[in-house]
Amino acid sequence: MLRLLDETMRVAYGDLCFMRRNAASVLVSSMVAPILYLVAFGYGMRSGSSEGGVDYIAFVVPGIIAISSMTAGFSSTSQKILIQRLFHSSFDELILCPVGISSIVFGKSVVGMVRGLLGSAIMLSLGLMLTDDIHLTPWLILCIMLSCFAFSMMGVMAGLLANNSQTLAMISNLVLLPMTFMCGTLFSTDSFPGPVSAAIGALPLTHSSEVLRSVALGWDFPWASLGVVAAYCAAFFLADYRLIKKGRY
Amino acid sequence: MEEHIISAEHLTKRYGDLLAVDDLSIGVRKGEIFGFLGPNGAGKTTTIRMLTTMTPPTSGTVSIAGHDSVREYREARGSIGVIQQHNSLDKDISVRENIVHHALMQNMKRSEIRKRVEELCGAMGLEDRMDSLVEDLSGGWKKRVSIVCSMMHRPPVLFMDEPTTGLDTQSRNALWALIKKLNGEGATIFLTTHYISEAEALCDRIGIINKGRMIALGTSDELRGRIGVVTVERQNADGTTDNAYFGGRAEAKAHMQGLPEDANVSIRRTSLEDVFLELTGRKL
Ligand SMILES: Nc1ncnc2c1ncn2[C@@H]1O[C@H](COP(=O)(O)OP(=O)(O)OP(=O)(O)O)[C@@H](O)[C@H]1O
Ligand SMILES: [Mg+2]
Repeated sequence: MLRLLDETMRVAYGDLCFMRRNAASVLVSSMVAPILYLVAFGYGMRSGSSEGGVDYIAFVVPGIIAISSMTAGFSSTSQKILIQRLFHSSFDELILCPVGISSIVFGKSVVGMVRGLLGSAIMLSLGLMLTDDIHLTPWLILCIMLSCFAFSMMGVMAGLLANNSQTLAMISNLVLLPMTFMCGTLFSTDSFPGPVSAAIGALPLTHSSEVLRSVALGWDFPWASLGVVAAYCAAFFLADYRLIKKGRY
Repeated sequence: MEEHIISAEHLTKRYGDLLAVDDLSIGVRKGEIFGFLGPNGAGKTTTIRMLTTMTPPTSGTVSIAGHDSVREYREARGSIGVIQQHNSLDKDISVRENIVHHALMQNMKRSEIRKRVEELCGAMGLEDRMDSLVEDLSGGWKKRVSIVCSMMHRPPVLFMDEPTTGLDTQSRNALWALIKKLNGEGATIFLTTHYISEAEALCDRIGIINKGRMIALGTSDELRGRIGVVTVERQNADGTTDNAYFGGRAEAKAHMQGLPEDANVSIRRTSLEDVFLELTGRKL
């Protein structure tokens, strides 16, 4: 366990150096999207109304945190890996080193975790300032980390599989963007017709948003959704592990 | 049986219909400098990638320092250093960050890394560029950084895929000296090159690969013996040459006697280049 952690940080060193070099732009870009969502949805569209029995701001902030964990976790890992694989060939160097495959998978997800947590932290601080309904608890932080982890693992997979940046852009548009709006993050999906609801019920963001909202607002603990998010983490991790093991990158 | 520090049995790599490496077996002895020669596309890089655990073979096995490259990949990777043919540094971070990252990945300690960086960067003249972004370096400088990276953890086995391609004369000499020094300290070195003189100057044994198959293997003298150590070279009027190879001077002289008086012929020791061209085909 300690060895895994140690190796993970060794793998992540290069990416962390990159982030430190570009700290300012990392910080700014982590802030822009969440704040836009908050302004557009929280104030522009629904100000004053309520959703799910709470003030809309309290409803939407956990959803935006889930979105940030998804976009930041996914895009920072997938893009970094794609560039390192195809343009720098430096991904090969990782493979050449005496570290376990799990450490490589975890290490490559660290950028996504850091950026996801950064975006989430910014959003959470805003949320705490704007409403009293959101409760900061250790559980909430754990759940945010889990969500960032799930989407970072997904980003690692996309980064390993994609063979050009067009593919990544396509995944962003065809998978992430619909999830952003359809997964109950910004508004309740209760009014959707049955089949659509069922499809949405299978998507990871639906559950990560559900978990974060329930925990943040002190609703009943969403064990089922937590299980689904954890299952996505495990599935993406296994896929990443296999891809590297089989030399499919 | 002889102990081999690098040993490959029946290595085969297929890319779709293309047989990039075809049933290749190699044994490299501990402490030797092994040269791998072959025309473009012969399968040198593919072989190195399989020997270094980067590409899983379609079939066949590799063992490095006694560790199976698939089952014990971690141990196998810990005992090798690799300079890849194409630059494989992270261009978004600095020279120092690349080197430190590499050393960390090899489980080195910070204090140890600091000392080793000074030592190697001194040898490759990199001191003034440590904080440049790799992106901003010229090709030869990047190569030098890769060389330093591969040697940081003092690997007992070093693979170098065309390490001197693109280097200026000074760095090439420095690298040759470094290779000899490391080898003197006990490192085994597996290198590919397109410079036949380099293979001849550095390598204890040379393997020649063509179209994925190992077609000759031995010391440079043994390879000369394969085609004949004496060459009679005849210059034709149209600028082409015809070579004939003989096991000894007497036979060669006899052959010359049989040629027309006015033929433009010379007799010389067979070069490794003759061997290479003879075995891999003179034409593209
Ligand atoms: N990833 C790959 N996918 C498909 N074909 C490949 C791949 N890598 C190599 N090949 C093919 O395998 C053959 C051997 O290539 P390899 O790079 O091993 O040659 P090489 O001897 O290193 O050549 P060079 O001297 O040009 O470096 C070539 O025909 C090449 O096109
Ligand atoms: Mg090559």
